[in-house]
Amino acid sequence: MADFHDEAPLVRGGLKFHDITEIVSSHTEKKTPLAWYGAFSLALAGLMLLVSMIAYLFWNGTGVWGLNNPVGWGYAIVNFVFWVGIGHAGTLISAILFLFRQQWRTAINRSAEAMTIFAVICALVFPTIHVGRVWAIYWTLPVPNQMGMWPQFKSPLLWDVFAVSTYFTVSLVFWYIGLVPDIATLRDRAKTKLRRMVLGVLSMGWTGANRHWRNYEKAYLLLAALATPLVLSVHSVVSFDFAVSIVPGWHTTIFPPYFVAGAIFSGFAMVVTLLVIARKIYGVENIITTDHLEKMNIIILLTGTMVGFAYITEFFVAWYSGVQYEQYAFVNRMFGPYAWAYWTMMTCNLFFPQFFWFKKLRRNITFMFIISIFVNIGMWFERFVITVTSLHRDYLPSSWDYYTPTIVDVLTFVGTFGLFFTLFLLFLRWLPMVAVAEVKGILPEADPHFYDHEGDGHGAHHDVSVSAAKH
Amino acid sequence: MIELPVLDASPESADPTQNRFWRSISQRDGSGEFSRMNAGEFLPGASEGPLSENGSGATRRQFIQLMGASMAMAGLTACRKPVEAIVPFSHMPEDRVEGVPAQYATSMPFRGVLHPLLVSSFDGRPTKVEGNPDHPDSSGATHLFEQASILALYDPDRLGSVRHDGAVADWAAFRSFVSGLPSSTRIAVLAEPTSSMTMAVVRRQMEQRFASVRWVDYHGLVGNASARGVAAAHGRSMRMLHHLENARVILSLDADLFGSTAADPVAAAAGFAAGRDPEAMGGMNRLYMVESGTTVTGGMADHRLRLKSSEVASFAAAVAAKLGAWSGDAGVHASHAWVSSVAADLRAAGANALVVAGGQQPAGVHALAAAINESLGAVGTTVTYHDADDAANDGAADMASLMTDMKAGSVDLVLTLGVNPVYDHAAFGDVYGSVANRVHVSMHMDETASAANWVIPQAHYLEAWGDGRSRSGIPGVVQPLIAPLYADAHSDIEVVGLFATGSDLPGYDMVRATWREQVNGGFEATWRKSVHDGFAVADGWNTVRPSISAAGVSSAVAALSLGAHSGIEVVITPDPKVFDGRFANNVWLQELPEPTTKVVWDNVAMMNPATAERLGVGARLNGGKYMADTVSIEVNGASAELPVWIQPGMADDSIHVTLGYGRSIVSERAVRSTPFFDLDDYTDVYGQGAVASGVGANVAPLAASGVIVTASVSKAGEGYMVASTQDHGAIDAPHVGEEVKKRGLFRMATVAEYRANPDFVKGGEPAAIKEDWADYPTLWENAHPKDAIEITSSNYHANQWGMVIDLNTCTGCNACVVACQAENNIQVVGKSEVARGREMHWLRLDRYFVSGDGSSYDDPQMVIQPMPCQHCENAPCEQVCPVAATVHSPDGTNQMIYNRCIGTRYCANNCPFKVRRFNFFNWTKTLPASLHMASNPNVTVRSRGVMEKCSFCIQRIRGANKVANVENRDVRDGEVVTACQQVCPANAITFGDLSNPESEVSRLRQSDRRYELLAELNIKPRVSYLGRLRNPNPNLA
Repeated sequence: MADFHDEAPLVRGGLKFHDITEIVSSHTEKKTPLAWYGAFSLALAGLMLLVSMIAYLFWNGTGVWGLNNPVGWGYAIVNFVFWVGIGHAGTLISAILFLFRQQWRTAINRSAEAMTIFAVICALVFPTIHVGRVWAIYWTLPVPNQMGMWPQFKSPLLWDVFAVSTYFTVSLVFWYIGLVPDIATLRDRAKTKLRRMVLGVLSMGWTGANRHWRNYEKAYLLLAALATPLVLSVHSVVSFDFAVSIVPGWHTTIFPPYFVAGAIFSGFAMVVTLLVIARKIYGVENIITTDHLEKMNIIILLTGTMVGFAYITEFFVAWYSGVQYEQYAFVNRMFGPYAWAYWTMMTCNLFFPQFFWFKKLRRNITFMFIISIFVNIGMWFERFVITVTSLHRDYLPSSWDYYTPTIVDVLTFVGTFGLFFTLFLLFLRWLPMVAVAEVKGILPEADPHFYDHEGDGHGAHHDVSVSAAKH
Repeated sequence: MIELPVLDASPESADPTQNRFWRSISQRDGSGEFSRMNAGEFLPGASEGPLSENGSGATRRQFIQLMGASMAMAGLTACRKPVEAIVPFSHMPEDRVEGVPAQYATSMPFRGVLHPLLVSSFDGRPTKVEGNPDHPDSSGATHLFEQASILALYDPDRLGSVRHDGAVADWAAFRSFVSGLPSSTRIAVLAEPTSSMTMAVVRRQMEQRFASVRWVDYHGLVGNASARGVAAAHGRSMRMLHHLENARVILSLDADLFGSTAADPVAAAAGFAAGRDPEAMGGMNRLYMVESGTTVTGGMADHRLRLKSSEVASFAAAVAAKLGAWSGDAGVHASHAWVSSVAADLRAAGANALVVAGGQQPAGVHALAAAINESLGAVGTTVTYHDADDAANDGAADMASLMTDMKAGSVDLVLTLGVNPVYDHAAFGDVYGSVANRVHVSMHMDETASAANWVIPQAHYLEAWGDGRSRSGIPGVVQPLIAPLYADAHSDIEVVGLFATGSDLPGYDMVRATWREQVNGGFEATWRKSVHDGFAVADGWNTVRPSISAAGVSSAVAALSLGAHSGIEVVITPDPKVFDGRFANNVWLQELPEPTTKVVWDNVAMMNPATAERLGVGARLNGGKYMADTVSIEVNGASAELPVWIQPGMADDSIHVTLGYGRSIVSERAVRSTPFFDLDDYTDVYGQGAVASGVGANVAPLAASGVIVTASVSKAGEGYMVASTQDHGAIDAPHVGEEVKKRGLFRMATVAEYRANPDFVKGGEPAAIKEDWADYPTLWENAHPKDAIEITSSNYHANQWGMVIDLNTCTGCNACVVACQAENNIQVVGKSEVARGREMHWLRLDRYFVSGDGSSYDDPQMVIQPMPCQHCENAPCEQVCPVAATVHSPDGTNQMIYNRCIGTRYCANNCPFKVRRFNFFNWTKTLPASLHMASNPNVTVRSRGVMEKCSFCIQRIRGANKVANVENRDVRDGEVVTACQQVCPANAITFGDLSNPESEVSRLRQSDRRYELLAELNIKPRVSYLGRLRNPNPNLA
């Protein structure tokens, strides 16, 4: 008889409730380690770089980037799609996996959600600064104004404004609601008055009362349900920026699912990259275990293969459609001036994740770190290939050109990593990087009934049908 | 502040005894409480400030006074003090409406004749040049130099004051110098040939005043080989005019008939287009082109033969021999397959045949052409000769003897009138210094000016009175539209007039005096009419009909080499953009794509791929930019180093270079320097001195012994960046031609194919459109924005604008590109920005090479397709703009709302024609002040971060709407003329109302050659093209 409960425990090292509180909270309470300052300075330097690049851009104009006449979108849009994609993993982990009762998510959801929010902040930078007249950017918002003008609702860029801002708002609220019990824990442990006051305000008077927990669970469930369609919708809408146009290579119905899969793919790769480092440095390897990482690697393998399938489907459709523009666009991707970008993308996104078929490799921390970096690179190039190679040669050969980024393009992109890590390091320093309350809920002790096999808590207290069948 | 005593409650009388009535004792006594209360208008405390009790506060009045004064002063500081006195007209000119431009007829003197113009002036500021439609020698069209000449008026590097030995002087100093010249002064004058009657008068006066005045016609390297060849063949000097409208078969011997460097491109293109109508009686004409380079004329040819320019002479001799026009050596090409076919075709056309030789060809080839025309009986139909009373001197010989005399010291003063021999005449600079007095008249501090000791700023033709004759000899007045921008600027006739009389003569008086001589009675009326019309109703030059002189032809041909040419030839021609360098400081022309290479801001050594391979040179693409090798070209010890440009279709071992670059004009403007974070120094094309300086290389030294020379060419360097507006990133793509064909962009057929299948353009439709559109309804078809009530109820809705471009007559001459730039305030971005693909031209001419179709990869056909905004009815750009900054007008144009645009560039991405142009930087911020005056006030000057594109000249449409509205009628067909349409010499562009079935554009849309680009996308362009037809000789397949 198959044993559904034979999986390894999610938390290793025999940690008790208090151990978990201690491990996670201590990082926000102890004296700031020197290494944190080092890392933070580096990140802050990156942020300053971003700020100065944006100042330079605003002072002089969009011409400081490498854009030209056929290629109206370059690094900015590539980076935007890249960062929005990164964000998707967090929402997927916290919302969809929550609804699917995937309890392993508890170890990683907090940091993944934080990553989502910071990635979306990085993403939002780009559509804002990429316009020629940034001082009029608010015209894309439906604000009543003396001009009597609404935005143009047929434009996918406008849909983007709504989709991404909704996504950001919901993600932020979702993250904060999840944080409330843990902030209350920190508040209760706080030693200074200031800390007590700040955390007291942020924890909104949480006392751990049954009533609080009931409201909390309900709110969390509702927000998870609200965030779930957003995972699908945001990147679908982002893909509409391309798919709704008539540019060969953009005008493709496969884009929404393909973009969503790519977003999850890149997001998980980023989570793996960050957590492999963070769990080591913060000594939470017993909470974020190799099992967690392996599960994420399986998702990377799955979504990577889906993305690869989409690449091949696009080619098939280009050939099958008989549209010469479409055919040329895809031949040009493979063999044109940007073939190097295309083959980088193919190698990183389709080829490398296939190593995760091997259990040994997908449990190897070093190996998965390397693969995750490749996937990050590959997914950036995917957006580059879509955006730039489609634009640089479209309908009239007389207008074909080549796009080369400038140093400003590159440094702006580098600078967003500074922004991202500045926020991420602040998060690691001041907030619990693991959802303490939720992890406690999956400890065996949290399961009062001690169903069979001493109860690892896995799914038991929710999965009534299984437990009922067993008895 | 006005005092108001009425309200001032001072007692009427200080003496209480005078009061007959009193209210209280204290009033009667005038004391105490009453007088205190009575002292103010109001009771004590009612009107004082809070502090007035102790006497230190302001009263209500004082408060109002102070407030009033400070408000007034605050208001005044906000007012800028007006710089100019604005006074109303004491007598308002009749029909003058503020903001409505006035048009004045004038003429541009260029290459010895007047080009009749109609110039728009906004409140005294000329802004746009058009052809004079009333003039018999202009159909209202111009070429590109006339269009660009308006910018030269406002050129910020114009010389502003008289210079004497490098120091600033003034006109009075120069006048006293000239008036003090002894009559024994031996003067040499170097001037371009001119048709000005006034100049002839003052020249005669000057010759009387001084003992020795030697007047040398300076042709530069443009030369006058044609006139000399004709003179040799016929034994006398004459003007030759071609009449292409009468020609059925045309043989061009290296002559770029329609390009800007031709002597008469407007008339040639118009005449050619007239004979190009497939529906006309007699069918289409046929053009044979024999050339070494690639020209727009070669692109129009029905047959094109690649032949080195140095062998064109032998080809001409062979054709002449075949036709019996030449009995001497038939040359090395006597048995060429072309000769018999071409000769037979020419003979069949007889009087309707025409042979034309190119300006760079030696006089002997022109003599052979004249002989052939004579023997065909073409003189009188396609060629006419006129007596212009001028001499076809050999300019090179005259210059050589002058330079000898200058060196020998037998010239006391040399006067250079607008010419620049130090720059473009080899070795002139060496002898120039040996003349004691060097007077130079120029618009710039140019090469000759730097070596001269008197430099006189030359007036622009729109600043000074003048006269002359048009191409057919019709006299005309050059009427100024503006006072000289610089007080010292004087016209050539005024300078020569000063030499002639020693005192100032206003140009106006001189021109009037000359004309008074020529008019019999009623001078004032005739004069006024001539000035108004721009020309006098008078006959042109007399037609003459001299016989051919076999001996003359023989002696001219004797100077030719009729053998095969070995080695590498270099052909030095005037540049199609900056001519011989006189337009080099004109940014519109510098940034104008060369018509066949699309290169900007440079001159290049053009050669075909085989030649480049033999020389071991080439160009490679690096990040979308051409990085070319450079070659060193050596001719008789002189050398020039130029970047290589690989141009398919040129003759093997022939290298073409153009004049006019490598200028060094001294600018007085400060070099713009900015802090490190500010790119204004980069975006300011005027920021680093005169724009012409440092662009390209001067090839004039190579031409010391002629313009078609044998040279030794070797690789000199590599990595020179050449900017081109086309083919960024496509040099290595031989499949491009295949793509153009597959996409049905340029559709062409031979006449025979067209007769067999009049719907050949439909065959060019890409596959998708062959299905029925009814199966694929448009997304918004049921609620299409064009049916919205606010569209259909608009008064503009009655007109639906559309354009038809005839690829059969468009030569790709570039005039429309400059006209569009002048009309629409299109900014110039400089070489490096063009190389980055950021040129701003609203109208571009796409050039494609066609191989297959009977032409090979080595010998492709070249076609050119004008590409304005197509004004799609289902415009892809409009749907994607998030802020509705690009929308459709009720009259069917696609409009850009600049102040609504936030610059997402999404519209440009989604434009399948890529006609949208983005302001990556603020191009107008750094413009020198004088250039602001060149702007068309009816067109918004765009700022940084907004998109722009062709508007169908919406300002002209709205102008016509206004007039029609005032006159309470519909807009007439032909009333709205776009700038590109107006300038087009070939009338290839037709614009009009599609909702009017009678309009010309509606008629042309019925043509079976009509097609729309990318129609399968269902974007419904409002611009249609008429397919190109070729008329090849069946015997010369």
